Amino acid sequence: MAFQSPMPSRDFLMDIFRRVDKDRSGYISADELQQALSNGTWNPFNPETVRLMIGMFDKQSRGVISFEDFGALWKYVSEWQNCFRSFDRDNSGNIDRQELKNALTAFGYRLSDEVVGIMVQKFDRFGRGTILFDDFIQCCVTLYTLTSAFRQYDTDQDGVITIHYEQFLKMVFGLKCWP
Amino acid sequence: MGHGPYPNIPIGGGVSPQVQQWFRAVDKDQSGFITAAELKGALVNAQGQSFSDTACNLMIGMFDKDRTGTINVEEFDKLYTYVNQWLTVFKTYDVDQSGHIEEQELSKAMSQMGFRFTPEFINFLIKRSDPKDGRVSVDQFIVLCVQIQRFTEAFRVRDTQQNGTVTIAFEDFLNVALSCSI
Repeated sequence: MAFQSPMPSRDFLMDIFRRVDKDRSGYISADELQQALSNGTWNPFNPETVRLMIGMFDKQSRGVISFEDFGALWKYVSEWQNCFRSFDRDNSGNIDRQELKNALTAFGYRLSDEVVGIMVQKFDRFGRGTILFDDFIQCCVTLYTLTSAFRQYDTDQDGVITIHYEQFLKMVFGLKCWP
Repeated sequence: MGHGPYPNIPIGGGVSPQVQQWFRAVDKDQSGFITAAELKGALVNAQGQSFSDTACNLMIGMFDKDRTGTINVEEFDKLYTYVNQWLTVFKTYDVDQSGHIEEQELSKAMSQMGFRFTPEFINFLIKRSDPKDGRVSVDQFIVLCVQIQRFTEAFRVRDTQQNGTVTIAFEDFLNVALSCSI
């Protein structure tokens, strides 16, 4: 992916970490992370996206981010910011249906307008037909999770799978992208 | 539809006075509409905890027919009935009245709702809902059952030979996963 961010210095990261860790517990909680991130509006950052990110980077499964994990999280958010900005062609601060389709095509997907429309509908939390930065992350991560799950069953890689009922349920239920 | 404050005349559709009263109590900012946040304040499980955000969003999603993102009093009437039906079902299966449904109780519940699941799958469902204690509260139960119903229906429609197997292409899979999930 062409949205690489160089890893900043330890001092730089520590400075940010300390500012985000408001209660000085030495760990960043979901609330603290939510408060530190912006989606470009005055609305709080999508709590589902926060939960997803904590889940991804919380190596100790404690539900909080330690300083050790923070660098990777910071890099991840920066890369998403670069990505989002590059697809928000009109610099509106949000991604519309066409911009989303462009982004997904760039990621290697070949999806119909119908499915892209469903995705906008599902991840557009404010009913404007566009998605904000936090929703964009949630959308892409969900898509990635679903694709990985599908791929595991698609052994001949023809884009079609045959599965039994309980396998199917486990597939759709077991995904970490759902609350 | 439904602009402004409440009319003083009895509202159409036969919404009972009790439900109207309950609606007013839940509609904290007296806007005439209930948001997910206001609903969260009103729905409580047996442990005295608010229904989860997921459960509240599910409720709003199901009953917000005019897609305003909020519930008016007529929509609330249906939601109220629906939640009470689920409460009754929950109480039926919470045999030991613990306020939670444990694995065995869930197994019975699913079976009596017409699902044939293996014990491994029931275990998976319980762990998915509550990895720590292995039991579900009423709001978790509702979310679980609704999703199972939705996914099962999507599966059934595609199981053309009715043999418990589907052949599904990637886009259709995405469609189902995104549409049926909460």
